[in-house]
Amino acid sequence: MAAPAVALEQIDWENPEQIGLWKDAWQRFRRNPVAVVGLVVIGLLVLIALIAPLLVAIGMVKDPLHQDVAHSYLGFSLQHPLGTDYLGRDLLGRVMYGARISLSLGILVQFVYLLIGGVIGLTAGYFGGKIDNLLMRFVDIWYAFPDLLFILVVVSILGSSLTTLFLALGIVGWVDLARLIRGQTLSIKEKEFVEGARAAGSSPLKIILKHLLPNTLGPIIVSLTFGIPRVIFLEAVLSYLGVGIRPPTPSWGVMLQDGYQAIFAYPHQVFVPAVAIAITMLSFSFIGDGLRDALDPRMRR
Amino acid sequence: MEQSTGKLKWSRLATLMAGVALVVAACGTASTTNNNGNNMASSDKQILRINSGTEPNSLDPGQQSYDYEGLIGRNVFEPLLKPKKDLSDVEGAAASSYDVSSDGITYTFHIRQNAKWSDGVPLKAKDFVYGYQRILDPRLAAGYTDPFFDGTIAGAANYASIDAKNDAASTTFLQGLGLSAPDDHTFVVKLQQPAGYFKWVASLWVAAPIRKDIVEKYGSDKWATVPSQVIGNGMFKISEQVPKDHITLVPNDQYWGDKPHLTKIIDYFIDDANQAFSKYQTGELDIQTVPLANADLVQNDPKLKNELHKLPSLNTFWLTPNLHKAPFDNVKFREAVSHAIDRQSLATDVSKGQYAPVTTFIPKGMNGYQPGLSDVQKYDPAAAKAALQASGVSPAVANGVHYLARNTTANKQLAEYITGQIKTNLGLNWTIDVIDSKTVTSRIRKANFDIYGPDGWGADYPDPQDWYDIFTTGGCHGTNWGCPNNPDFDKLVQQADQSTKDSDRVTKYNDAGKLLTNQFYVTFLYQRTEWQLIKPYVQGYQATPLDEGIYLPGDFFTNTIFIANH
Amino acid sequence: MAVAKGAPARGALLSIKIPRGRGSSLALYIAKRILWLVPVLLFVITITFFMAHLAPGSPWDKAGGRQLSAPVVANLNLKYGLDAPLWVQYVKYLGNVAHLDFGLSYQYQNQTVSSILLESWPITATNGALAFLLIVPVGIGLGVIAALRQNTWVDFAVGGFSTFGASVPNLIIGILLIIVFSVGAYRVTGGNVFLPTGGFGLDDHLIMPVITLAVLPIAFIARLTRSSTLDVLRQDYIRTAWAKGLRERLVVMKHVLKNSLIPVVTALGPTFAFLVTGSVIVESVFAIPGIGRTFVTAVQSRDYPLILATTILFALVVALANLVVDLLYVVIDPRVRLS
Repeated sequence: MAAPAVALEQIDWENPEQIGLWKDAWQRFRRNPVAVVGLVVIGLLVLIALIAPLLVAIGMVKDPLHQDVAHSYLGFSLQHPLGTDYLGRDLLGRVMYGARISLSLGILVQFVYLLIGGVIGLTAGYFGGKIDNLLMRFVDIWYAFPDLLFILVVVSILGSSLTTLFLALGIVGWVDLARLIRGQTLSIKEKEFVEGARAAGSSPLKIILKHLLPNTLGPIIVSLTFGIPRVIFLEAVLSYLGVGIRPPTPSWGVMLQDGYQAIFAYPHQVFVPAVAIAITMLSFSFIGDGLRDALDPRMRR
Repeated sequence: MEQSTGKLKWSRLATLMAGVALVVAACGTASTTNNNGNNMASSDKQILRINSGTEPNSLDPGQQSYDYEGLIGRNVFEPLLKPKKDLSDVEGAAASSYDVSSDGITYTFHIRQNAKWSDGVPLKAKDFVYGYQRILDPRLAAGYTDPFFDGTIAGAANYASIDAKNDAASTTFLQGLGLSAPDDHTFVVKLQQPAGYFKWVASLWVAAPIRKDIVEKYGSDKWATVPSQVIGNGMFKISEQVPKDHITLVPNDQYWGDKPHLTKIIDYFIDDANQAFSKYQTGELDIQTVPLANADLVQNDPKLKNELHKLPSLNTFWLTPNLHKAPFDNVKFREAVSHAIDRQSLATDVSKGQYAPVTTFIPKGMNGYQPGLSDVQKYDPAAAKAALQASGVSPAVANGVHYLARNTTANKQLAEYITGQIKTNLGLNWTIDVIDSKTVTSRIRKANFDIYGPDGWGADYPDPQDWYDIFTTGGCHGTNWGCPNNPDFDKLVQQADQSTKDSDRVTKYNDAGKLLTNQFYVTFLYQRTEWQLIKPYVQGYQATPLDEGIYLPGDFFTNTIFIANH
Repeated sequence: MAVAKGAPARGALLSIKIPRGRGSSLALYIAKRILWLVPVLLFVITITFFMAHLAPGSPWDKAGGRQLSAPVVANLNLKYGLDAPLWVQYVKYLGNVAHLDFGLSYQYQNQTVSSILLESWPITATNGALAFLLIVPVGIGLGVIAALRQNTWVDFAVGGFSTFGASVPNLIIGILLIIVFSVGAYRVTGGNVFLPTGGFGLDDHLIMPVITLAVLPIAFIARLTRSSTLDVLRQDYIRTAWAKGLRERLVVMKHVLKNSLIPVVTALGPTFAFLVTGSVIVESVFAIPGIGRTFVTAVQSRDYPLILATTILFALVVALANLVVDLLYVVIDPRVRLS
């Protein structure tokens, strides 16, 4: 394969010339219309999530917790743009507040992935040998383990709440990232500048933090971007199975479960959260694909 | 995802429906045509397709305890007695009659001379001795043992102390029970103390005869795992069981009484309410319950609304507070909560009419119903606020309440509604804990909760004894979770249980009911009505409130059900 | 989540160590890999065993109403050996599993776990096999067509579908299918034509679950086929041959297919694993009584032996699928073939 003059692995944050590479990547990303659409949609969602309480406060959107049982299961109307649920709560308000839960959970859990996957991947890749072997066998075993049970049990013991879900989801999903980081670390630790640092007497920890971590950033960002929708989906599955977010807090998964039991009589109840989830996951995919192409050195001319 | 609270047959919460007999009596709608024979379809069309939602855990009647098993057990085996259509009393089933000694201790059942097993072998009294012994055999750990059998039969109170690992001890225990067969057609049961309700126990479907030779031939664990080995004495026998799909019953031609018109009952195990509902609509099922969310859909559908039968049922649902923990140890606080919940709106708007508002214990349609008490716990926001004031509970404690619920859609929705009411009418912010059902059970058993709902009861038989025993001290953490542990209440209930005079029993139970309501030991919420879709060609069923009517209305008298020409 | 694990996504192919030697070293490699399954399964069993037993609630707790009395519960514990200390139960269980004895189910009295799994397995397998039959031709076909028509609307349509299928989860796809083909069709046709929302049967019950199960793998295979076909088409000698005429194009097509399918073949292993683990979601949405649903109910009812056996089965399928992929890599090393 025709290796590019400056490979992604060699970005040095202190080198202004290489920061240009990130600029380049951004240029490429901007030229990808699909990726930009994804970014705009997610941007809008984040904005909505942030200002939802404000919109409720000024009365533009109805309070998602306010019950009006005499007007339950309403369809689309001016009063309630997306209708109401079984307790007469406004679905637009609920779907907006649901975005807060889904997005924050999706993004926060990535930090847990990064922490566990990063530590294991970097350690294995950097030290190699027996440590690598041991850690990777552990990763293999973890990989073979069906974690639905794990999540169900953790949530059962600790009770379902945002914190519990956050922990349970974080502990199970880091495997891919660990492998990725290990691979990246392995491939660049033999590079001259790392050798140089080692020869100069830098401690392993310092080398790892200073050189390896920043240099593996590109693929990690891509992986994390794909990780967010996966967490959003897992939240939905868990809530669908009845072990998700604590009611009456609206989350998309909870709305999916609530809506599903009324699918015959009021299909819009489940349609609204389903579409919200689908759009969000598609948008993250667009961004992820765009980022991958933009950060892939082979794409550079 | 129907109401989940009623899986256990004993509690029968979600499952009871009052029968057509009762409906006829109450409002005069003739929803059944008695069999006059002339509009009956040909015998090849006498196939009834029903859905009990779940595969039976066991085909051995004595080992069953769930309602979805009951409808199989009840039709394949026949106990000594069965309820009359109007539930006023029992009537003969496998026994033609029975006598009770004047002290109320000895029950003598006279087995029918012409009763036979489905393989043609005559039914004998020793088969009942063996069947009852199996229910009480510690090694088998049957679910229905307590309290119906170990609480009534002489010698059975030792059940708890027998070491199930010790075969000899178990055998001695079984032989020492007050069960005997002086001759082939006489079965005698001696009780520990008088129990006027024992006739109802003898009509429970689990109290079936069992063939010792069959059990010994195939093995105690194995005999009931193969349909062809399940030899019964009921109206039907099992012809096949397709795992995960259905079980098929066909008439037992050895049955002593009137042979069924139906040539086949196919009982499916479809546990998804929406799926079963759509199968009813395509004509693949003849009877199906209406999922809560589809209530309006059915009521507004020109065709379905004519097939909808709203059958009253003997159950009551309530909220259970933990009476030994703040703030629910405070009677005024409990009163405030009770006054703060609008049951009418819950019934009309949330349940779309499937619930009836309730503020008392014994359900409407049963002896012991106390409409006179219904104002004590009624919805009254002003009184609620006043009681909260009077309770003196600090806002921090009052707001710190966790509402515990099992994780089904219906339970979660109720939790949201109740906490919404508390917020609106008392200004309190409660937290909802909706968790895995097993975890909830382990928590309420350990008194690790503030308030739990919905809790409830459904009649095993139409006697108040079945209901009031729940709240006695003996039922603490077994049948009730708040644990009132009130000696006055216990005394009233015990006296009523053992009394042989009906008028005396009624007074005592009523006094106990007053105590229960006035002390706000629980907050009564609603009585469920079973909304059942029944194809118009299913006729002749004679439902009673004790049927597994949610699956098969009229399953005590299955032999009168027929398919009309259509 | 089991569903994400077997997914033919990133990661599954990363940890392969391909021995460069052939013949005896290959046999050794296989032996080592199979031997490696033992500690993996042991770990899975251990974690599952203790987590299942640690979860609050007992198998005998009822979902409402009157609970079993203490003596009855004690007798049940005795009957199923739950009275012994946990580590004794654990050791005993390991011994039984070594003899392929998975014990009795708690939920279904006197039924062996093996017989329950044998009942639900054919159902999962039927859906999975049908999905597989759909995935291979459709996925490869779409990929090849997209590559041959690169940068036309066909290519974009396939690309759009692939992105959709790879990003929208099967839970959502299943629900959307139900809304359109069950609820929607019911309303439009007045109840004459519509697909059943769930259950199992060898008829129209299969349509929606199979599609739901197949969408993600199809999208994945289509993407993979497209890019590998493009890679082959870019080779100079292919370009020359392609330019010569129709007859040659046919010959070339065969050659292209043969070579571009190599990476696709290796992706079929994870696809297979996904079809089994993905059953958890699909069977929950469509209420299908297969392995996935059995697992979820077993967890909910604390049927420890059934939880353990299902988990072992899932782990085994994922591990074996990975093994097969790795072996395929060794057996059909592209460089060997092309030279």
